[in-house]
Amino acid sequence: MEIFPALLSVITDPMLLFAIVLAAAVGMIVGATPGLTASAAIAMLLPITFYMSPLFALAFLYVIGKSGRYGGSIAAILFNTPGTAASAATQIDGYPLARAGKAGKAMKVATISSVIGDLMGDILLVVGVGFIAAIALKLGPPETFAIYFAAFVVIGSVIGKSIVKGLASALLGILVAMVGLDPISSEERYTFGSFDLSNGIGLVPLMIGVFVLGEVFAQLEERRKATGETKENESSADGNDLTWEEYKPCLPHAVRGGFIGAGIGLLPGLGSAIAAFISYGEGKRRAKNPEQWGNGALEGVAAPEAANNAVSGPSMAPLLTLGIPGSTIGAILLGVFLIHGIQVGPTLFLTDKELVYKLFACGMLGIFAYGLIGYFGATQVARLILKIPTNVLYPLIFMTAFVAAYSARGSMFDVTVMTCAGFVGWLMRKYDFNIAAFVISFVLAKGAEETFRQSLLMSDGGALIFVERPIALAFLILGAGAIAFRIRGIMKERKLAQGGLGDA
Amino acid sequence: MRTYAEGLVLAVVSLVAIWGAWQVPAASPGDTWAGIVPFAASVALLGLSGLLLVGASSQVGDVATARADSGATVQIIVLFIIALIYQQSFRWFGYLLPTAIVAPIVLYMFGVRSWIGLAVSVVICPLVFHLIFFVLLGVFPPYGEVFDLLSWIQG
Repeated sequence: MEIFPALLSVITDPMLLFAIVLAAAVGMIVGATPGLTASAAIAMLLPITFYMSPLFALAFLYVIGKSGRYGGSIAAILFNTPGTAASAATQIDGYPLARAGKAGKAMKVATISSVIGDLMGDILLVVGVGFIAAIALKLGPPETFAIYFAAFVVIGSVIGKSIVKGLASALLGILVAMVGLDPISSEERYTFGSFDLSNGIGLVPLMIGVFVLGEVFAQLEERRKATGETKENESSADGNDLTWEEYKPCLPHAVRGGFIGAGIGLLPGLGSAIAAFISYGEGKRRAKNPEQWGNGALEGVAAPEAANNAVSGPSMAPLLTLGIPGSTIGAILLGVFLIHGIQVGPTLFLTDKELVYKLFACGMLGIFAYGLIGYFGATQVARLILKIPTNVLYPLIFMTAFVAAYSARGSMFDVTVMTCAGFVGWLMRKYDFNIAAFVISFVLAKGAEETFRQSLLMSDGGALIFVERPIALAFLILGAGAIAFRIRGIMKERKLAQGGLGDA
Repeated sequence: MRTYAEGLVLAVVSLVAIWGAWQVPAASPGDTWAGIVPFAASVALLGLSGLLLVGASSQVGDVATARADSGATVQIIVLFIIALIYQQSFRWFGYLLPTAIVAPIVLYMFGVRSWIGLAVSVVICPLVFHLIFFVLLGVFPPYGEVFDLLSWIQG
């Protein structure tokens, strides 16, 4: 029960508490601003955390990630534009509620459900992470490589519209990570004689480029395409208050959503958007009033909101125990650990156990912080967002990207990398490639290569070592199964579409 | 047509990657080849590009959408060129001068039409970023080899 002393330690540190509250507010604003994502904000703030202590830096960014997920619901409910992909399911019932003058009520349901889901996820993380770390310590290189392989395949094939493009994105991430000196033999790879390239591609400039500059390019494109106007929502006096009687039917959906989100969060790459839609579908299937779902049911806000926030905690488990980030935010946090010289993996719980539990404690306090700010101030946050002039905001973000990329290592080469990564990030978005798979694979590639080559050395070059070990084999089958499952799903969708056309 | 282009670009990237992996010297006895992972990844990428090309043959292009997109694409390419020049000019002119020039240009591209606002950005943007990153955070600013406004101001 290391969490209790950790909680006490964090509560008695006013500077850390201030950072948590600030991060909760920043995350909420960023998440609620359409076009801005928590990943972009974290990537942009990453260089600043070089000058902070590891716990302060990690807690600040971790809480922004949590709060950003919740903040997406504000834009989904009020503006019919999901602030994050994860809140797209919230929009289905949230926006009709806002149109009917119940925006305040919907936002309060979203807040309470997010807090319930997020806390459930964090409690499961705190209870289970020690066990996972203990098991992870017993895994050898073949098993670890098989887990990496399964992560690549799941991340590449499950998210996004196309399996081929998802897997291609993951492979591109691996290839970019290979640039530089081979860590084992020190042979140059893909350096083309350049001294700068021999140091490899930095994680920070790549992240800033893909998430921040790429987003600025995408926003410039959106501005040209955007037409139409936002409809003004109705407003009524009782639309902002939420009673226990109103929330009571939402509670089972929130708890179920919490379990769904926590389960999905443990699997790398699936992410909160999938959790939210599964929870919404499952909630509607079990609802007493399914006909009301989609037309403004409060339960339809509770179910996806609890699920998408419950992903946050458990997605840290593969990151901390195996060094495998389950999300883009996890990938950036992995960068923060590495920047501060902390080796992530099963040994983390032997070397920096106190730091890990303090980070969990900060996460839990962050949930309460965004819960309070959201419950009493979501409407004010929404008003603030409406006042942000996006034509000034994005040019400022554009310029911040350059100075932030430079600040990381004081390297002009990093700024060049960031600029090119920004353009590549925009191209990947435009042509439906999978940015999350690209970035996560970039982060995972070095570890995967190391374990792969260690396994080959163990077996004297024989690849059968991966098949002979049952745990390794199980994860390889899991990877293959993920592709097969996805292909089956796509075939089903096509059949349904063809059936639909035939009927017409 | 679009999927064909995507498949072809991926195929070219993977062929360059295969060639690059092939340049990695062979491993010493008892060691593993440093090019094994890049080579395997690039061969797999070539396979995927082949799948994209095969899939492209069964699709029909949308000319109208492509035309609508081209206007925005040109603007983004212009912004990318500005970004490339901006980052390169740090090496020649330091941080302040390029930022003072680029700030109003990018603001204009995003639709700011107030001449006062644009004029103010020439001073405010470099000043604020300089104060935050190079004064408060203590990052050493990039030095301009041709002309450095900061050095000139500091005498």
